[in-house]
Amino acid sequence: MTSETDTKGIVESIPAAVLHGAISALGVSHVLIVPDTHQKTLLASLVQDSNLQMLTLSTEDEAICVNAGLWIGGAEPLVIIQNVGLFAAINALRGVAIDMKVPTCLIVGQFGRDVSKRVEDNVPTGVRLLEPVLQAMEVPFYRLDFAADVSVLRTAFERSRAERCPVVVLIGAPTS
Amino acid sequence: MKRGEALEVLAALKGDGISVGTMRAIPDWYELGAAPELNLDNRGCMGAASALGLGIALAQPQRRVIVIDGDGSLMMQLGSLTSIAGSGASNFYHFVVVNGVYETSGFQPIPAAGIVDFAAMAKGAGYRQAYEFDDIAVLRERLPGIFNQPGPAMVALKVELDDARKEVSPDRPKDQAGYLRAQLVG
Repeated sequence: MTSETDTKGIVESIPAAVLHGAISALGVSHVLIVPDTHQKTLLASLVQDSNLQMLTLSTEDEAICVNAGLWIGGAEPLVIIQNVGLFAAINALRGVAIDMKVPTCLIVGQFGRDVSKRVEDNVPTGVRLLEPVLQAMEVPFYRLDFAADVSVLRTAFERSRAERCPVVVLIGAPTS
Repeated sequence: MKRGEALEVLAALKGDGISVGTMRAIPDWYELGAAPELNLDNRGCMGAASALGLGIALAQPQRRVIVIDGDGSLMMQLGSLTSIAGSGASNFYHFVVVNGVYETSGFQPIPAAGIVDFAAMAKGAGYRQAYEFDDIAVLRERLPGIFNQPGPAMVALKVELDDARKEVSPDRPKDQAGYLRAQLVG
């Protein structure tokens, strides 16, 4: 499993409005969050949107499980968390999203990334080790490093539904 | 109170509600006929039952959702108590089988066994109702009234140790998530 966008070594801060618009266009029923400093402008924008049902959860593994319950019940949720939270949620990712074959689209902020460097060259393990872990778990992922590539959100969301699996979108720079 | 007899009281009131079971309660639940229809087994991610049930409850607000948790299991996602309370899911009914041990791994005591009060924690987290029962007759008498009041509700079921090993029903659907979703939304 590989990233499907090229590594350009430089990322840009994507405006919250761009991401918010792309999320709204997906037709999601619920947005499940465990707050992420990296995406704080996006979260601030989403909570103002009365068309979205937002739910803040205590932990990231819980978010993956609530996502599963919502989907089983007929809803179309989306999860927004932070990279270190995904590490904390690996058992739920495995035991629920993968083993129970639950569509699980996760937008994950690469919190702590040195944006002057490629992901592979970053020192923080929360940034550098995430993609290898996802590869080891056979979880598809996409890098979202430029506003022009925002369509990968739809690609990831639809792939999670089509293949009934978790799919991750990695937000490279703090949102603006 | 024995786990099997407590679950029998609960199964009799399931109706068209949706159940989420976990660990050693699963074989009993099938034996009582409360599964596999409108049911989800949580076997692959200890601690996940309450959050799985919360998602179903939010997506299916017209149906009662019954989560059958374990004490050791719930402690693995204890934060779910606040998420459930915060959601205000009025159709969420949380049953915790309290036997004070990790049964499947050889009856090691859970942390604070005999001290921890799950009903008090649920109430403190913000559940609308929270109870603890250790007498089957009292449970039988009180449960219909609990279901008639809005959740989130917690019922801690203090049960005796039970070392009878039961097998999981062969009738269990292989694709549990897909099976239940199909029942709920076609």
